[in-house]
Amino acid sequence: MKRNRRKKRSELKKIKYRPASVSELLTQMKDVSEHIVDLAYSALVFDSLEMKEEVDTLEEKMDEYLYLIRMNCMLAARSTEDAEQLSGILQVASAAEGISDAASDIASIVGSKSKYRLLLPMVLKDADESIQRIRITSDSCMVSKKIGKLKVEEITGTRIIAIKRRFVWRYDIDGDVRLLEDDILFVRGVKDGIDELRLYAEKGAEWDSYRREVSS
Amino acid sequence: MSETFQTLIKMKDTSELMVDLAYSALLFNNRSLAEKVHSLEDYTDKLYSKMIELALDMKKGNEPEMAKILIRLATGIEAIADCAKEIADVVLRDIEPHPVLKKSIKESDTGIFLNKVHFKSIIVDMPIGKTGIAQEMGIWILAIQQESRWIVGPDENSILRSGDILVTRGPTGSKKKFAKLTSGKIRSL
Repeated sequence: MKRNRRKKRSELKKIKYRPASVSELLTQMKDVSEHIVDLAYSALVFDSLEMKEEVDTLEEKMDEYLYLIRMNCMLAARSTEDAEQLSGILQVASAAEGISDAASDIASIVGSKSKYRLLLPMVLKDADESIQRIRITSDSCMVSKKIGKLKVEEITGTRIIAIKRRFVWRYDIDGDVRLLEDDILFVRGVKDGIDELRLYAEKGAEWDSYRREVSS
Repeated sequence: MSETFQTLIKMKDTSELMVDLAYSALLFNNRSLAEKVHSLEDYTDKLYSKMIELALDMKKGNEPEMAKILIRLATGIEAIADCAKEIADVVLRDIEPHPVLKKSIKESDTGIFLNKVHFKSIIVDMPIGKTGIAQEMGIWILAIQQESRWIVGPDENSILRSGDILVTRGPTGSKKKFAKLTSGKIRSL
């Protein structure tokens, strides 16, 4: 771990001021802070070095965002009221950055040599929401559909954290991503939701055909 | 071993709930929610000490490597809980939150919603697990205000009552449908 840290220090990117919207930066930081935690646990569950590396990349991005937010907030302060209010923004931004640091610490367990790390998937499967892997088969109704069009999260309650397409990983999952046969989805959600998604992805069920029995 | 794992899972679930609750407290500038985050932080601290003790027992039982990994994971989770507390802190400092804070939370990928359960809604008197809102809409209930008390992190057996105020998180695409469900305008999912 020590060696990594030394390596990192020599690679630190230079950060220069650029005008940026504080609001957009903060939204991005909030989104990343949530995504990065999912990715970190996902890295543990699948013992994936690739996911761990993505966590580190995102973590560095967060450092940069935090600097930029600080600079832009300082320039925005014109009065004591401004300073008070802006300090709240800085507090939230640094907490979001702190979350990404913690996520990176969690993901770093993947790099550990101890074979006991392989027990963690067993531990994490009992969380409120679990993380699973789903492969899209050729007969799936999801093939060549966009995630946003399908409304994956709205219909199944599951969130796609990452997609592996042959050897390429995708982490910036938004509604415009088109799903293809053999894509491997890494999803987070409650068990029932993931089971439902599996029906559509792997068992050829028609999209949104599954009706849950709501008893009253 | 299983006690260790259960404690760890409790820590993980609580830390995530805390982050969501902290953002909710900011968005609605709600002191009681922020205070709940603070008390949940005390709770995770307790779980953390328990984890360390359990891990140390493991070390004695010749499983030092496992103990090390569990402590690393628990430390990361505890750090997340601390950050959630820092976010909630802003609300408790009595600083009028900057409009940008609310705006950035609103524009985030995951939305935070506030809805009141209307007496006509089909989810009245239903345990949360039976409603199917998590599976059908991706809506996760973070807290319920029942009369004047708050229930944070309700489980699937918690029963929803008419007049409950629900603080939830979920995809922005589910916002309208969930509002219709709680207000009784749709009768099925």
